[in-house]
Order: sequence, then C-alpha cells, then structure tokens
Amino acid sequence: MKRIVAVLAALTVAGCSSSAPSGPGGTSAPPLVIHAVDAGTFQEDFNPYHLEGVNFGTSGMIHETLLYFNKLRPGEITPWLALDHAWSNNGKSVTFTLRQGVKWSDGQPFTADDVAFTFQMLKEHPQLNRNALEIEAARALAPDRVRVDFENTSYAKLFNIAGNSPIVPKHLWDKQADPVTFTNPKPVGTGPYKLSKFSAQLYEMEKNPSYWQPGKPEVPVLRFPAYTANAVQTALQQGEVDWAGAFVPDIQKIYVQGKPELNKFYFPPEGVVTLLPNLTNPVLAKPEVRHAISLAIDRDKIVRVAERGYTKVAHPTGVPMPGGEAYVPPEYRGAAFKVDVEKAKELLKGVDPAQLKFTLLVPSPFTDWVNAAQLIREDLAKVGITVETRGVAFQDWVSKVGKGNFELSIRATASGPTPYYQMRSMLFGGLAEPVGEAATGNYQRWKDVETDRLIDAYAATEDEAEQQRATQGLGRIMVEKAPALPLFYSPSWAQYRTGKYVGWPSEQDPYAMPSPYTSPDAAVVLLHLKPAQK
Amino acid sequence: MRFLARRLGFYLLTAWAAVTLNFLIPRLMPGDPVELLVARMKGNVEPAAIDAMRRAFGLSDASLWQQYLDYLGNLARGELGRSITFFPAEVSTVIAESLPWTVGLVGVATLISYLIGTSLGVLLAWKRGTWLDGVLPAATFMHAVPYFWVALALVFVFGVTLQWFPASRAYGLDVMPGLTGEFAGSVAYHAALPAVTIVVASMADRILGMRNVMVTTLGEDYVVMAEAKGLTSRRVMWAYAARNAILPNITSFALSLGFVVGGSVLTEIVFSYPGIGSMLLKGVENEDFPLMQGIFLVISLAVLVANFLADLAYVLLDPRTRQESE
Repeated sequence: MKRIVAVLAALTVAGCSSSAPSGPGGTSAPPLVIHAVDAGTFQEDFNPYHLEGVNFGTSGMIHETLLYFNKLRPGEITPWLALDHAWSNNGKSVTFTLRQGVKWSDGQPFTADDVAFTFQMLKEHPQLNRNALEIEAARALAPDRVRVDFENTSYAKLFNIAGNSPIVPKHLWDKQADPVTFTNPKPVGTGPYKLSKFSAQLYEMEKNPSYWQPGKPEVPVLRFPAYTANAVQTALQQGEVDWAGAFVPDIQKIYVQGKPELNKFYFPPEGVVTLLPNLTNPVLAKPEVRHAISLAIDRDKIVRVAERGYTKVAHPTGVPMPGGEAYVPPEYRGAAFKVDVEKAKELLKGVDPAQLKFTLLVPSPFTDWVNAAQLIREDLAKVGITVETRGVAFQDWVSKVGKGNFELSIRATASGPTPYYQMRSMLFGGLAEPVGEAATGNYQRWKDVETDRLIDAYAATEDEAEQQRATQGLGRIMVEKAPALPLFYSPSWAQYRTGKYVGWPSEQDPYAMPSPYTSPDAAVVLLHLKPAQK
Repeated sequence: MRFLARRLGFYLLTAWAAVTLNFLIPRLMPGDPVELLVARMKGNVEPAAIDAMRRAFGLSDASLWQQYLDYLGNLARGELGRSITFFPAEVSTVIAESLPWTVGLVGVATLISYLIGTSLGVLLAWKRGTWLDGVLPAATFMHAVPYFWVALALVFVFGVTLQWFPASRAYGLDVMPGLTGEFAGSVAYHAALPAVTIVVASMADRILGMRNVMVTTLGEDYVVMAEAKGLTSRRVMWAYAARNAILPNITSFALSLGFVVGGSVLTEIVFSYPGIGSMLLKGVENEDFPLMQGIFLVISLAVLVANFLADLAYVLLDPRTRQESE
C-alpha cells in the first residue's frame, strides 16, 4: 500500500511545459462536451455526498480527495490533497500530511480543519456516510496535519477514506443546518474546475485559475448537456459529444464511422461478471458440478456474440487483467478458461442426471446478459445439464438474487481499487445472509473458513506484499473451489474524440479509468488533456 | 344543487380510493429502492451504508398500516416527501418543475387536435360522398397506430435523417431559460415535433367520433326543418347539427384534459422531453415511492377535476341534466 507514485515531479514538469500560454492551449481552446450519466434534466445539486441526484463532476472536478487510486493499476496511489498518510494504533488511526498552499476557489486557504470537518460531518450524519466508515473522531493536529480515528482496524478502507471521500470547505459548510439535504448550489472546492453556469438541461464548469497544479487544466470550459440514453446515441453519431460513457449497440457504425484515429473508444474492465451458483442448492453445492459447468461454458463465444467483443474473457481468478498480476497466484498467472466437454461429463458421472436441472435468472433489461444466458443454456445442454433461462424485471432480479431465491444467476461485481474489494464482496462469509434475507454481497452464499481467514488477513495489515499474498490465496480458491464462475469483465464505457484534445488514457497508458462517469478519475483525465495540434 | 352535491360526494370517495391505491400499488413492486440504488451504483456505495441510506430517504420498517396513516397525515399537511431519485429534492419541486412542460406541450397539442379534429369531423359528415371521404381510411389507420410509433417515425425522418427539427429536449442547449424571445422561440421549435405527434395520433379519434355523431344528428327532423326553412348550409351545419352533436366530444375533451397532466409518457420518452411522463418513468425504474405517489396523486386529481368540470359543462349545455337534478 505504500507504493506512492512520485508524480509530483511529473506534475511540475508538465506544469512548466504548459505555462507558456502562447501554444495552442491559450484561452481560445474549445470547450469539451461531456456526457457522463443519462439524464433528462439536471437538479441543482452539487453535494458530493449525495448519491444519484448529484451532478457529475462534483467530486473530482470541484471537490477533491486526499489521495488518488488508479483502479487500472491496483496499488498505484498518487498524492493529491494529502502528501502522505501514516497508520498508527493498529490501523485504528490514520494521519494525513496535507499539501501546502492549496486554496479553495473563493480564495480561503485549505487546511486540516476542512479535512477534520468533513470526516466529523460523516460521523455525525450517517446518511452521508456512503462508505460506511466507522469514524470515531477527526482532529486537526496542525494546519497541515489531520488524524482520523476509527472504531476498528481500517487498513483495507484506505480507498474509502482517502480516495472516495471528497473534502468540503468548513467555512461554508458549517453554516449549513442540515448537510444531508444541503444541495450546495454554489460549490466551492479545491478542484481544477468551478461551476459557471447551471440550467436544467446544461451546466458548465470553467477552469479554476488558482488551481494548485500550475498551468492546469488546459481545457478551459467543460459543458455537460443532459442526454437520455436514446438521445446520446444520436449525439454521438452527429459528433455533438467529445467524451461519453455510453453503451453503443453498433459502435463502428454509430460512433467510429470509419475514423478510428479520431473517434476512439476504450473499454477497460471495472469489474467481473460471474455466473452465480446458489450454494444452498444441494446439487450446486457440489464442487464437481460447478467445475463441470465452468468447463462447459464457451466464454469466447459469449464475449464475441453476446458482448459484441466489447470486453474480454475473465481470468479464472476473476481478477481484472492486465493490471492485477500481482494479486494473482504465480502458478495461475498464465491460466485461461478452456472448454472441455469430455472432462465436464467425466466430473458429472457421479451425479444423478435427473438432478441436473436449473433455472438461470437474468434481468431482462440487460439484453447482453439475456443473450449470454441463452448461450450458457446451449453449452450446458451438451454436458447433460438442463437450464431454463428466465428473464425478469430488474427490480425483481435484484430482490431475488439478494434474498438468495435463485438457482443460477448472472451478476457483476465491481473491482474496486484492488482485487481484494471484488473478492471480499463475492466471497466473504459475513455477507452470506440466510436465504430469504437480502444480502449485500456473496449472493451465492459461500461459506469457507480459509476464505474468511484470508479476507481478515488482508484487512489486518498495511503491508502491500502481505495484502497481495492474501488476495492470491483468494484467487486460488476461486480457481480450485469455484465458489462463483467468472465469465467476462464488465467494461467501463468510454468514447472520446481526439479532434479537440489528446492525452486520453489508453490500453498502453492506463493512468485512470477512462469513463467520464468514474469519480474522481474523470478529473485526473482532464488534467492530462492537451489541445490537439492542428 | 343536489345533483352537484351528490357528484361531489362521489368524487371525494373516488379521490380517497385513488389516494389509497397510489399508496399501495408502488409497494406491491418487488424489491426495495435502496437495494436497487446499490445495484445501479455498481460498487460506488458500500453495502454497509444501506441502513444509513434508508434513514436518509425516510424509508421505514414500520407496518404498512402505520406507513399508510403517516402518508395520509402528510398528505393532509400537503407534504409529498422527498424524492429518492432526485434526493434531496422535494417531490413537489420535481412535479412543479416538470408539470409546466407537460401541460404546455400536451395541453396545447390536445387543444389543437380537438379543434382541428372536431371541425374536420363536421366537414366530413356534411360532405359525405365527396373526395373528403378519402380522409376516413387515413383517420382509421392513424387511430390504430400507437403514439410512440408515430413519434419514432417522425424522429427518424425529420429529426435524424432530414434534421429539420431537434429530436430531443425542450429547448436549445445554448439558450438560458428566461422571459426572452430567444427562449420562447427555442421552446416552440423543440415542441414542434412532439406536438405534431400528439396532434396526428390523437386527432383521428376526434374526427371519427365527431363525424359519426354528426351523421346521426343530420338525420334528425330539426335539421331537415332548418334546411326546409332555407337557412344557409353553413348555419345549418354549425348551429343546428354540430352544436348538438358536440356533446359526446365535450366529455371526451374534458377527459383528455385530465390526461394531459398524466402526459404522453411515451411521447416524452421518445423526445427526451423533461415533462411529468419522463419523471414518472424515472420514479418507476428506481422504485421511488414518494415520487410515484406524488405523480399519481396529481394525475388522478387532475382526472377527477376534469370529470367534475365536464359534469358542470353538461349541466350548462344540456337542459335535460338540469331537469333531472331538480
């Protein structure tokens, strides 16, 4: 966890090179049009701790976090508002050393009081505590040092604390009677942008001239028009949008339009889609049945046909690759799924064929998963497993899978800053609620002492090597015991045009999640952009 | 007056039934708004924070009966609660912001469709046997075609292919809302295509309805009498035949005025129009109980009020109802 990347130097260098305003990046640089989330209209809400009503860009572009975690390179942590962090008290306290000279966009200095205020606010208003941090107290030790105390060991929550909790200004927020319903209509942040215009259909942000990274950002104005899921397809086709995070059915025809150099897209994994066997079902509880199912499924075909080739077949551990190598057990680093019908039949020899009948529950609005389910049905028929696919409404599916009322289902798990988060969410025994009660993870109800021991071991240390070893152990369990069957990675959607600006993340340089709807990654992307040379 | 009092009592009963159903129906949906939210946020929310979110959204584990009483109490105080989808916006704010768009678009379109449709119906009945009869099959066809299909076809032809009209949203992106000519022009330009959809798709009903009643009326003795007196055919057509034939159309107009508030959900979705129909869809997708309840309430009240107005109009227009009520 201590692998803090020394990007400070890089930032300064980049700052120098762009400080000469004579280049193409002067004030004449064009605005960037962004579509992050589907919306018919916007509400005037810039409270970074609101979930859905909040407008995109509030965290990252306006309100910044203490550290930046690159999910595409697990373990890569960049100092942001904090320069450093140090754990003490067995992981129950963390002290941050803050960057000096940072100012709020209204000119007030950013200090440890603001950080302490933010965490204290989360403690006092659990409704805003979407990271479920067990905060005991937050104290400013010096103008540039702040300590946050937790009720429990919180090493594994560093991302939630420092990477996903945007800091708000104390001098404005402590005047608010109720931060839970406060909509922060005139946001003041430390970030690279300031809100400059708001209407229900469009809001604009302009460059914060006093931003702490000198010479940045080079994109002077961001425009966020409201597009619904339908409207954004037309907008992409007509070239109205420069940066979008949308699912496009036929991307070559609708978006690329024969100009792959100008109209680019990059869909890196942001999680894994797994086939969930309900382990409370006595037949699916048999490991040989699960292994047989896994061997019979032609994942290449699913990716090609159902997923239109937009993503890749998952690694057998489920860890997103490339990027997660250090978290995969060495012996499985080169492993890949292979179809083996004969071996699957062999494994099923001891099972009564009459018992091999399952219903596969999928949410019918996810047409790609519905198609994948059909392919799985065909594949499993080849080894003598009868599968009936059943499409249900999204709400119904969420409820049934949550309560464990299913036999087989498909579900995505977010990868998080390191593969541990994904593994914990998929496998932690503490999340396995009894059937009939809504679970918040481990929907297949996997209960295994060794798994829980590894998860606890990760959470009990800040040593990166030890954490990786624990995650590797979980990867081994994924391969050998098949508690959930990885199918393919769930892609993060990102379409970007290089006509106005260049410097976007790519497979060769995955410095941040490329999708505009990922916070605070989108702000990191904006700070990397440079005007295209005409 | 007793007639009116009886009607009023009936409406109060209906209103109570509607309010109760508004409460019950959203709760019959499977799942829970917070679980849905977590599923949609794709890992951006710690599942451990679910309880906190339930509290923030004001969801309670209280018994259904207790929730119902609370709901009625809040309604009596005029409180609709906060939306979950647009948290922390009040449901009343969300409705207040979207309702004008729907009423403006669908209301004007309904009025236009009613005026044109009724006039055309009168003409068609009067000029039977001329080339105007050719309108009938077209009207029957339009009557059978669903709204959204017309909308999609128009978007494809005029919005995407020809690009004469904007295919989505309520006004141009570069226009700031305000009392300016530019804004009004932009709103009108953006409303054109959806309005045409509604007019085209709903006009057929009016044409057919008016024509059929009109044809019957034309056979009445008093029309023959009027003609025999040598009145101008224009006078006979409008003052004698149409005036009597219009009663059923008034009922349907009043009813459709009620449905104006409900909006043309599909039309609004196709055109990404920020009206109440789009909000209702959002509410249903997210199991946003307070928002759904609020919108259903406004819609059902609008239908009831429209019905009541139709009753009143009948009392004024048709002497027979007055006699009965005395």
